[in-house]
Amino acid sequence: MRQGYYQSTGAADMAQLQATMQAIELACNSIQMHINPAAAEATLLSLSQSPRPYQACQFILENSQLPNARFQAAGAIRDAAIREWGFLEPNDRRGLISFCLCFIMKNANSPEGYVLVKVASVAAQLLKRGWLDFTPAEKEAFFHEVEQAVQGSHGLDVQYAGINFLESLVSEFSPSTSTAMGLPREFHEQCRISLEQDYMKAFYCWVQHAAFNVSDGIIGANSEIPEVKVCSAALRLMLQILNWDFRGKNTIENSIRGMDIFYDGMKQENDSLRRSECILVQPGPAWRDVLISSGHVGWLLNFYTALRQKFSCEGYWLDCPLAVSARKLIVQFCSLTGTIFPSDSGNMQRQHLLQMLAGIVQWIEPPDAVSKAIKSGKSESELLDGCRALMSVATVTTPLVFDELLKSLRPYGTIALLAALMCEVIKDLMENRTEEETWSWVARDILLDTWTTLLMQLDASGHNHSLPPEGISAAANLFALIVESELRAASASAFSDEDEYDYLQASIAAMDERLSSYALIARAAVGATIPLLEKLFSERVMRLHQGSGTSDQTETLEELYSLLLITGHVLADEGQGETPLVPKEIESHYTDVTEVVKHPVIVLSSSIIRFAGESLDPQLRRYFFSPRLMEAVVWFLARWSSTYLMPPGESGESKGGYENYNNTQLLGRQPATSLVSVFGENDEGKAMLDVIIHISLSTLVSFPGEKDLQALTCCQLLHGLVKRRNIICHLVTLDSWRDLATAFTNERVLFSLNAAHQRSLAQTLAVSASGMKTSEASNQYIKSLTSHMTSSLVELSSRSDLKAIAQQPDMILLVSCLLERLRGVARASEPRTQKAIYEMGFFVMNPVLIFLQAYKDESVVVYLLLKFVTDWVDGQIIYLEAQETAAVVDFSMRLLQLYSSNNIGKISVSLSNSLLSEADAEKYKDLRALLQLLSNLCSKDLVDFASEPIETYGTNISQVVYTGLHIVTPLITMDLLKYPKLCHTYFSLLSHMLEVYPEIIAQLNAEACSHILGTLDFGLHHQDVEVVDLCLRALRALASHHYKDRGDGKVGLGSHATSYKDPDGKFHEGILGRFLRSLLQLLLFEDYSTDLVSSGADALLPLILCEQSVYQNLANELIERQVNQTFRSRLTNAFQSLITSNNLSSTLDRMNYQRFRKNLHSFLIEVRGFLRTV
Amino acid sequence: MSDEEHHFESKADAGASKTFPQQAGTIRKNGYIVIKGRPCKVVEVSTSKTGKHGHAKCHFVAIDIFNGKKLEDIVPSSHNCDVPHVNRTDYQLIDISEDGFVSLLTENGNTKDDLKLPTDESLLTQIKSGFEEGKDLVVSVMSAMGEEQICALKDIGPKN
Repeated sequence: MRQGYYQSTGAADMAQLQATMQAIELACNSIQMHINPAAAEATLLSLSQSPRPYQACQFILENSQLPNARFQAAGAIRDAAIREWGFLEPNDRRGLISFCLCFIMKNANSPEGYVLVKVASVAAQLLKRGWLDFTPAEKEAFFHEVEQAVQGSHGLDVQYAGINFLESLVSEFSPSTSTAMGLPREFHEQCRISLEQDYMKAFYCWVQHAAFNVSDGIIGANSEIPEVKVCSAALRLMLQILNWDFRGKNTIENSIRGMDIFYDGMKQENDSLRRSECILVQPGPAWRDVLISSGHVGWLLNFYTALRQKFSCEGYWLDCPLAVSARKLIVQFCSLTGTIFPSDSGNMQRQHLLQMLAGIVQWIEPPDAVSKAIKSGKSESELLDGCRALMSVATVTTPLVFDELLKSLRPYGTIALLAALMCEVIKDLMENRTEEETWSWVARDILLDTWTTLLMQLDASGHNHSLPPEGISAAANLFALIVESELRAASASAFSDEDEYDYLQASIAAMDERLSSYALIARAAVGATIPLLEKLFSERVMRLHQGSGTSDQTETLEELYSLLLITGHVLADEGQGETPLVPKEIESHYTDVTEVVKHPVIVLSSSIIRFAGESLDPQLRRYFFSPRLMEAVVWFLARWSSTYLMPPGESGESKGGYENYNNTQLLGRQPATSLVSVFGENDEGKAMLDVIIHISLSTLVSFPGEKDLQALTCCQLLHGLVKRRNIICHLVTLDSWRDLATAFTNERVLFSLNAAHQRSLAQTLAVSASGMKTSEASNQYIKSLTSHMTSSLVELSSRSDLKAIAQQPDMILLVSCLLERLRGVARASEPRTQKAIYEMGFFVMNPVLIFLQAYKDESVVVYLLLKFVTDWVDGQIIYLEAQETAAVVDFSMRLLQLYSSNNIGKISVSLSNSLLSEADAEKYKDLRALLQLLSNLCSKDLVDFASEPIETYGTNISQVVYTGLHIVTPLITMDLLKYPKLCHTYFSLLSHMLEVYPEIIAQLNAEACSHILGTLDFGLHHQDVEVVDLCLRALRALASHHYKDRGDGKVGLGSHATSYKDPDGKFHEGILGRFLRSLLQLLLFEDYSTDLVSSGADALLPLILCEQSVYQNLANELIERQVNQTFRSRLTNAFQSLITSNNLSSTLDRMNYQRFRKNLHSFLIEVRGFLRTV
Repeated sequence: MSDEEHHFESKADAGASKTFPQQAGTIRKNGYIVIKGRPCKVVEVSTSKTGKHGHAKCHFVAIDIFNGKKLEDIVPSSHNCDVPHVNRTDYQLIDISEDGFVSLLTENGNTKDDLKLPTDESLLTQIKSGFEEGKDLVVSVMSAMGEEQICALKDIGPKN
């Protein structure tokens, strides 16, 4: 700006342009050499921010010798033009695009490729910016040039440049790779639809011809020739176009009718549950002639085959860019599907795939030879691409079609080839276990995905389809090899010490995914694989017994560990919150087994559970059951029992099963499928449950300090059991369950469980109360479970020497333990046990307050106390009667006050920074708990099951919550609001309160009010979109309340809203006026997500209506600041039409809000561009 | 144990032990632990196993509560660790003497004059300026294993 980049109207001042160019060149040089980069950046920025810098930029582009300066100039054109687009003359707009296009064509042979790419992308962005305004003829004019170039009539360099421009254009129009332009999402969608409909196919044809025309030359040449560059660019663009997310005709019509254009895309994403990254290519029937019937695919395959012959020549090799692009395109063609094929029962698609496969098979066959070649140094890329192609084919066909495809070329099917390939890969993995990320890792993952794709389809089809017999035996062989390799890996790694904990966690997740894929393969060949697993398992258990006490068993233990994981995955699915059923493949395979004891699945399960039962024997436990093996056992029991133990679909012989009567008929299961009923609610099932509970108790007691094992036992095994109602009914009748409950209350050793596990165990035990026959029994059970804990707390809190002993570590441990347990029970609140749990909390109200005082410096205990109260209130509040509510509210307020008086104005110090930041984090967690407590209290106003209104006892929830906020907000400093979760909780509570009870704010005193509104202003400028949205909603609520109230002749927000002069003559603006100013400032000048414009509009409208004069003043202020006359009048008009166009009235109804949203959108598009110009 | 330390302890609370044994597995983040004879606050706990099929051990990273130094320790999780008895007492501030000692009012009306001002700059200025302005200040004194230090400050309103 200071240098002045003004464009003079007549002949440009050459000297001026020269000076600008030199300034920019100097800046570029100094950035490169790191001399005062800040100043240099400022110079560059001033170019792109100055009004109409185009002439200067063009001058630089054409005359500067410095590529960097040209690059910067191109960027400046882009920035300025996007900003000023709204008021550029149509001629200027077109002129800029033409200039860029001419520039790349003219300089196509320039060695600085990056400048060309930048200019091409600027041209693409500007073309897109004006896309919806240009007439078809105008677009035609641009594209005519490009077409000429791509066809090659101006030489190879220009051809290459043309293809590159199209590449930029396509990626600019694809929503995922487009550049932000400050326009709504609809704009991008419309551009993309228009391009897809009108130009995409033409682009494809152009480059297809270009590639075709140069291909002969390439095949004929003996060394690398310039055509190669053009050809690979053309192939790349074709690939990019095929990658386009085609929406087809329907979407386009929908979008014209104003229906949701985003819906379609969402649906597609949900369909694919696989983790494969295979993108389906579905361009629709219009593309049939270009892609299918033109013989294009045949040409491509032949071209690559010809290319393969040339890999020995100079300039060509397996991984040269041309070969890579060609292979990628071929792989992409394998996933061609959808309506591009006519509905001829898949014939044409089969033909297409067969053609593809015939080409690809050369890359991967025979698998052993290919693998050998790679081991002796050949590049693996062909094999990997071949695997990817197989995956694509598997994605678009059914397993049977997939298998048949190869049979017309070879004596065996595709699945056999797939299995053979995978076997080679697994063999290589076994040999090179130590190395990571070798080709076989990658290949294994792709092939596993292929199997998953195929087998999941079998699963989803719902029928009892299975693979063809040949495929089944291939799968069985493959699985045997997989297990062998896993076991070998296990025993080899038995002695390795894994220290990297984080790494371990990540690899466990990856392993789980891998094992699920293995399980699918195993289930495809159940007949062979389950007996295999049983054999391997028994062998190892036997080996363990033979060597007991004498030799080192670690390797066997690790093998067993691995086998347990594999078997668990094969036998049962992970429920993911649902009750998993017996896997279909397993169930349907064994329909003819009549003798239960010989059923392979039962034999396998029983032998594992028998082995697990051995852990109850102290001596065997010492010999065999290392914590790690026990983890696998417990994990297996949890997984197994959720599928096989007392399954919900079982026939009505159950006693407690009031839910599952005549389920047998409903599910159409025959009693002959004995698998389900063996471990049902009969004696066998109960005995099994009993064993499991015994094992759980023994792991909790006999493996002190093994956190992982305890976590599995508490959170997975036991927690999973009490989730199922029909199990709970039996659980509470078992002696072992009572033993567990007794041990929990009395055993010292269980007090040393990890805190989270204490809580989880307490919750589990409390949940099981719902299995009791009557509600009295349930309540009695809870009482006996908790009375011990509550009375210890009461007793401890009333000790006279509390102050002296409270801070002793053993006392702290005891109190925290008891609180964790109570918290666990509180979280198990249910209507049935609510009474007993209420009493439990009521009983400890006083102790809680006493402890809060005694432990005011012991942050760990304070947090526990707050969390307990929060959880307890959360579970109770909606059921409470008026009197109980009054007690709880009173208690909560005392708690808040006590916390506040202990903490307000407190400054902690420490020499250690990390301890200080810990203290901050603790404070944040406390406050978050308190806000949650308030939110929980709030919910009483929404859902209330009490028999009489709570107001009977003078409780007014909104009053209470505001008082609470009043106590808490002074503790929340702006620094603490930087914690995202706290910030979120705070603003959701605040906006909820302001939306539901805006009238209360009028009753607050000035100080409280200003603090709350201060935080609102802070939130308005927050980075998080959601927080800003919450604040905007709060503002809308405040302003519309005031406006409506005033309309009814009431006070509205009262004194807070009025402006006044204080005695010193200082002017105090009303809050609404202040927010109007700050919101307008935000909307016009600051950066924010376009998603916020609508909620911004909803807040702005009532604010304007409340404070019309302030609005006028603000508008005038902005208008007067504008020097430029044109802008001035545009701004005046825009401000006027913001509040008048679309028949905007001065009411606050839905229609009016909608109109105003539209107005604001067009207002912002109209003026933001030049207002933000520096 | 030096005599001096012993002297301190008997003065604070006679007969109370300075540390308590507690199973390593139950010590959590933000709890206290004794490492190399120093009372510390735990800032990080992680568990690992001694060999794949061995027993769990806990790895503690902790910070000395008095001098802010970082210490680490590894303990089998079923074994016991020493946990310091950390006490905090609030006193009203009566005077600041020239030589950097403070005079505090105890609950039973006596004065406690053996504590130095903290070395921490910000707290020091807060205490001094607050005191000079005549505010009513309460200081929190943290004591453990025979050491004492001022650890927090609270303003309970202007002096009347």
